[in-house]
Amino acid sequence: MSGAAEQAPVLQVRDLQAHFRTHYFGVNREVRAVDGVSFDVNRNEIYGLAGESSSGKTTLIKTIAGLLKPPLEMVGGSARFSFLPDWDAVGRAPPEVVRAIRWRHLSYIMQGSMNVLNPLRRIKHSFRDFAWRHLGGSKAEFDLRAAAHLERVKLDPSVLAAYPHELSGGMRQRVTIALATICKPEFIIADEPTTALDVVVQKDVLGMIRTIQQEMGSSVLFITHDMGVHAALTDRLGIMYAGRLVEDGETPEIFARPLHPYTRHLIGSLPRIGDTEQREGLEGTPPNLATPPPGCRFHPRCPLAMSVCTTTVPAMIETLSGHRVACHAVNPGMAA
Amino acid sequence: MNAYLAYFAKRLVQFVVVVFIGVNLAFVITHASPIDPVEQSIAAVTSFGSTAPEAIAAMRSSLQELYGLKGTVAEQYVTFWSRVLRGDFGPSLSAFPTPVSSLIGRALPWTAGLLIVSTLITWVLGNLLGGLAGYYQRNRTLKLMGVVAMGVHPIPYYIVALMLLIIFGFLWPVLPITGGSAMNLQQGWNWPFVSSVARHSILPALSLILIGLGSWFLGMRSLVSNIVTEDYVVYAETAGLDSRRVLGSYVMRNALAPQVTGLAMSLGGIFNGAVITEKVFGYPGVGTLLVDAVYAGDYGLVLGVTTVSIIAVSVGVLVIDLLYPLIDPRVELR
Repeated sequence: MSGAAEQAPVLQVRDLQAHFRTHYFGVNREVRAVDGVSFDVNRNEIYGLAGESSSGKTTLIKTIAGLLKPPLEMVGGSARFSFLPDWDAVGRAPPEVVRAIRWRHLSYIMQGSMNVLNPLRRIKHSFRDFAWRHLGGSKAEFDLRAAAHLERVKLDPSVLAAYPHELSGGMRQRVTIALATICKPEFIIADEPTTALDVVVQKDVLGMIRTIQQEMGSSVLFITHDMGVHAALTDRLGIMYAGRLVEDGETPEIFARPLHPYTRHLIGSLPRIGDTEQREGLEGTPPNLATPPPGCRFHPRCPLAMSVCTTTVPAMIETLSGHRVACHAVNPGMAA
Repeated sequence: MNAYLAYFAKRLVQFVVVVFIGVNLAFVITHASPIDPVEQSIAAVTSFGSTAPEAIAAMRSSLQELYGLKGTVAEQYVTFWSRVLRGDFGPSLSAFPTPVSSLIGRALPWTAGLLIVSTLITWVLGNLLGGLAGYYQRNRTLKLMGVVAMGVHPIPYYIVALMLLIIFGFLWPVLPITGGSAMNLQQGWNWPFVSSVARHSILPALSLILIGLGSWFLGMRSLVSNIVTEDYVVYAETAGLDSRRVLGSYVMRNALAPQVTGLAMSLGGIFNGAVITEKVFGYPGVGTLLVDAVYAGDYGLVLGVTTVSIIAVSVGVLVIDLLYPLIDPRVELR
């Protein structure tokens, strides 16, 4: 994607912070679910976000998409979209501005996609609800357009007249992909869209996301904990640990030369054909984000931990290859 | 469409079986009653003086025929069914010789009018407010309504009815407290009669609405507050849909299916009459009729009211069963 990368990024996230703030019985609690994350998503690329459960992936995308509800709050930093240049985050723009960009420029494929369609509404009504106000035209024209778009995800136009319960899981997932892409949005957020599907359907759906993304030239922010999916689908990859981005770069580069010890463990945990021994798990559990460890949040579990790791937060440094990592054990330029 | 026809046929068979069993039960129960309407009538007639035994025998025979009590139980059973199918329940004992069917026919419009209107108002209002309260959970007015509904809901019905009578009949006497309309009016579609009926129905209707509102409100509120966290509602909100569209087509619409079933059940139950309401407000409906018939041992009338309400409840359930696939397409048609 080197040609597209010359253009300005579609999404620029800078030092983004989002905390859960609660105040019960006079005790203030603050959980730093996203703490100082910075990355770019370029035009026409799929940016993957990986990390284990509770690493803050979902909170991060909720913050980016402006879907925060109390007690979750965006505390600092910015997440600026190129199609919303006047506001430094979707959540800070006025509601009518946000409503106008939703689905037209920014759409979502959600976690638990199986249940995102209203069970009592025919598919064509869902399409009208979601996209008609952006695309305009008469009802008949719009339905034709929806039917044509369904064919791109290899669904028969008769699906429009069906209710969700009449479709199989894979078909429903394709309907949601069609629904999320019919307005040709510049940016699509996909939050674990394939996690609930079996691997055969999963492969199918991933291929479809890739094809449609390339046809439209959109950018996709793709979240999953499944490193195998990242390897197969994403152009660039960011690794999250305990609310921070610890490494990002081009996906093949990260898989070939992981720099952060956590990334190495994630990749090392992937089973390979011919394995005779069981893969080793990482000791310990992710930290409690209400009282995160000082310094590098990974140090209690890190095999390379040094004394500096317990006191100083490692800065994100760029190695020669445009590969960024936040680790005291890595020196600039050492990746090459 | 064939699936729908099969579904229709299945429900129709169910309906017939339920009505058949219900009406049979009504027959058994009334026959188990110790009151013999024939002997009661004869006793009433003969108490004024001596009557010839032949005359009594003739009277007994014709009365037995009138009440359908002639012959063996099996013969009575056949007579009973042929009469039920013709809608003839014989003469009333307590209002002899007025036929039971015309007594019911006279009482039914009062009950049906009062209860259908108040049930519909209660249902619409309760679901609308409950749905809003479930969706806009931070709204203070709606929160307050929830508290009031919780508070009023457990008060026994008759206490609310009597409170209304005391307030609007005695402390601030603006509304009539008894009867279905003023006595001296020509019944029919004329303004003085219609307005009198409306004025007389305010208190009984208000009591029913006040008591009924709470359960619909609370039921709908909890249904809606579950539905707003469903993935498809969150997704629609995420997509920037108009919040009125989300509330109408995604939240309320989906909460409505169970509530419609409840409405059908309560509309079917109307034909029992609202016994306490009609007694407290002296309303000339089916409930009053039924209670008086039970006290007077009026065999034919009890049987008539019971049969009509069995059929009405079954029809209500049948209609809802047939409409349900339109409300919820997920209902299995086969």
